[in-house]
Amino acid sequence: MTSTMKKMTCRALVVSLLALSFQTANAGLIGADQALAAGAAQTERGLVMSVLNRAETAAQLQAQGVDPTMARQRVAAMTDQEVHALAQDMQTAPAGGIDGAGWLAIVVVAALVWYFAFRK
Amino acid sequence: MRGPGRLARFGAGVCCAVLLAWLAGCAQLVPQTMSLRTQWPEGVPQTVEWTAVPFFPQDEYQCGPAALATVLSHGGVSVTPEALVEQVYLPSRQGSLQIEMLATPRRYGRVSYQLAPRYTDLLREVAAGNPVVVLQDVGPLFTQWHYAVVNGFDYPSGTVYLRSGKLAREKMPFTYFERIWIKGGHWAMVAMPPDRIPVTATEEGWMAAVLAMARVDQGNAATQAYAAALKRWPDNLAAAIGLANQYHARGALADAVAVLREARQRHPQSVIVLNNLAQTLSDQGRHAEALAQIDKAADPKSPFASDVRATRQLILQRMGQQKAGNR
Repeated sequence: MTSTMKKMTCRALVVSLLALSFQTANAGLIGADQALAAGAAQTERGLVMSVLNRAETAAQLQAQGVDPTMARQRVAAMTDQEVHALAQDMQTAPAGGIDGAGWLAIVVVAALVWYFAFRK
Repeated sequence: MRGPGRLARFGAGVCCAVLLAWLAGCAQLVPQTMSLRTQWPEGVPQTVEWTAVPFFPQDEYQCGPAALATVLSHGGVSVTPEALVEQVYLPSRQGSLQIEMLATPRRYGRVSYQLAPRYTDLLREVAAGNPVVVLQDVGPLFTQWHYAVVNGFDYPSGTVYLRSGKLAREKMPFTYFERIWIKGGHWAMVAMPPDRIPVTATEEGWMAAVLAMARVDQGNAATQAYAAALKRWPDNLAAAIGLANQYHARGALADAVAVLREARQRHPQSVIVLNNLAQTLSDQGRHAEALAQIDKAADPKSPFASDVRATRQLILQRMGQQKAGNR
């Protein structure tokens, strides 16, 4: 993907995420999440940072082969801390899934060893 | 003392030392399995197996979606691993990340809860009928992450039962299970229906999990989750505020007021309760009562001072309109 394309996607994501996050605010009421984080009210800056983090993480997911709409929905299901953590270690965190490939690798390595060391 | 006797004794001593070192090594390798021997968790049966837990044989790489489909279907959500692939699977990593394993059930109105990294907690949850998703390192030589679902165990024979990969009933010794579970930091999670709280859940941990779900689900599941949490922990402020806000959002103002009045009894100093109560009363048209409540919350040092000012302004404005209307 070209870098201008990436930038455009990022911008589109920022706008759509902003729209998403302000919809849910309940007029005049303070949210339950504020009650849990005792004393630490969410500032406007925090809100903007959270939206930007989400856009960035969604773009990263997209770069890893996830469909753009899906990437946005996947990020929307995470908490701010999770979004932050995922952006940090998407490449290194354990990804459960590979089944059987390890054995295949061992068989291939063994075959190569046999081929080069013993076959004359 | 004669030579051979001394030698024999020396030999025995070395054997003993080696044996002890080996045992100590074992205890190091599977510390939690060792402690289960002396401290079996109280009230947990030694044999449990939930055969009704569904099984989805996984396709290549897709144990994450399969494990989630297993626990979600068990909790009454109708979903297949294929449908979950695009929600949790990461193509470039050929697997699923833990954070996304936790995030995905929320989209189905289920509350994901990560268990404390303890064998006893895992056993308690399974015994209570909650199948547990675990992260394992199943690589024979190098690391290979894999998700499986524990749906039973039999301590007398030392067996853990799992739905895993293509095996509908994998039997694994307790020790081996811990060996491959230890590398992922004893990572385990459950996905609960909103009104069921896991037996090992802490108040703080569960409320964080409920709030994470309520972010996504603005419907009935969040209401159920808040109500169940408030019933279990009547003093929990976040649960009360969350429940009242849910009622408010669907127009059940009287219910919201009832919850907030109860919360005010328990948290007389809470600015959030006073603000939300004033707002809700005003929305009911009871502006004078609302003004009395909001005036109690006039604390300029509170982090919610600007919210309180805005609410007060709104109430005064509405009172002004009412007067103008009556004239």
